[in-house]
Amino acid sequence: MLAAIGGYVNAHQWTPTHPEMRPAHIQGLHTTRMHLFNSRKEISYYSIRVFDKDWVSVPFAATPSLIRTKYLAHHYSDIYIRRIDLKRAYYICSKSKILDTVKDPSIIASRICSKIKK
Amino acid sequence: MKQPLILLTALLACTGAYANTTINGSVESKCIITTDTDGVYGNPTGDVLSTKPADGGVTPIIRYDIITADAYVAKITHPDSFTSSPSLDDTVTWTGESEAGQMSDSTMSAFNTNKVEYNNTTEFDLSVAGSVWFDVTSEADYGYEKAFPAGNYSAVVTAGCIAQ
Repeated sequence: MLAAIGGYVNAHQWTPTHPEMRPAHIQGLHTTRMHLFNSRKEISYYSIRVFDKDWVSVPFAATPSLIRTKYLAHHYSDIYIRRIDLKRAYYICSKSKILDTVKDPSIIASRICSKIKK
Repeated sequence: MKQPLILLTALLACTGAYANTTINGSVESKCIITTDTDGVYGNPTGDVLSTKPADGGVTPIIRYDIITADAYVAKITHPDSFTSSPSLDDTVTWTGESEAGQMSDSTMSAFNTNKVEYNNTTEFDLSVAGSVWFDVTSEADYGYEKAFPAGNYSAVVTAGCIAQ
């Protein structure tokens, strides 16, 4: 029981697993909404990146692309990808950012990548 | 006289009334990464920093909660550099390993059998739903039996979950 309660204290969630890109209100762009839940007390920032199948960065815009978060906060981020990049865009990832001021002997960075529904 | 009677009837009707409220919820496919234990480097000899308990260290433990089997691959990368350290003028040799330790389902032992290692990354196919705790060991050896300079050392373990 203790493990179950304690376990969720320091977690990172990024959903949906398979987001679907839809045409945005701006011509030539497709969009999807991603959800981040931060229950890592020591993490205040998460970055968003979009990659192709070979982990090469794909240009994108997001509101916001760097999420400033609080403990136990939920965030929604709208991701925009150009229609011409849509075919090669494969993963939308969020990664915890560790501040330079954190001096723990061993730090764990978490990264979760969702795969775009084709 | 008529109005109080109507009110009384309404009140009596209300006392016996109750409503059913439905609570809806759904569990979607997701991977949850939980930092269970932060690691600490032990310094068994001057030239070694190690997270192994036998070396006086604390092994970092990361828990993965897998809601749907075969939806994600876990990628755990043990450090190959310090994020902060005193100035080092010799080479540091890095070694490390990731393996599934505690698990909620005994069939998760297949995670270790089928794991793929390359560079400093270990990939686990999360083919069984449940919770699994990955132990990550990291060791840094300095120069040729050269003592690490005094100071604080930090390194980062990256725990990733990639949708399939």
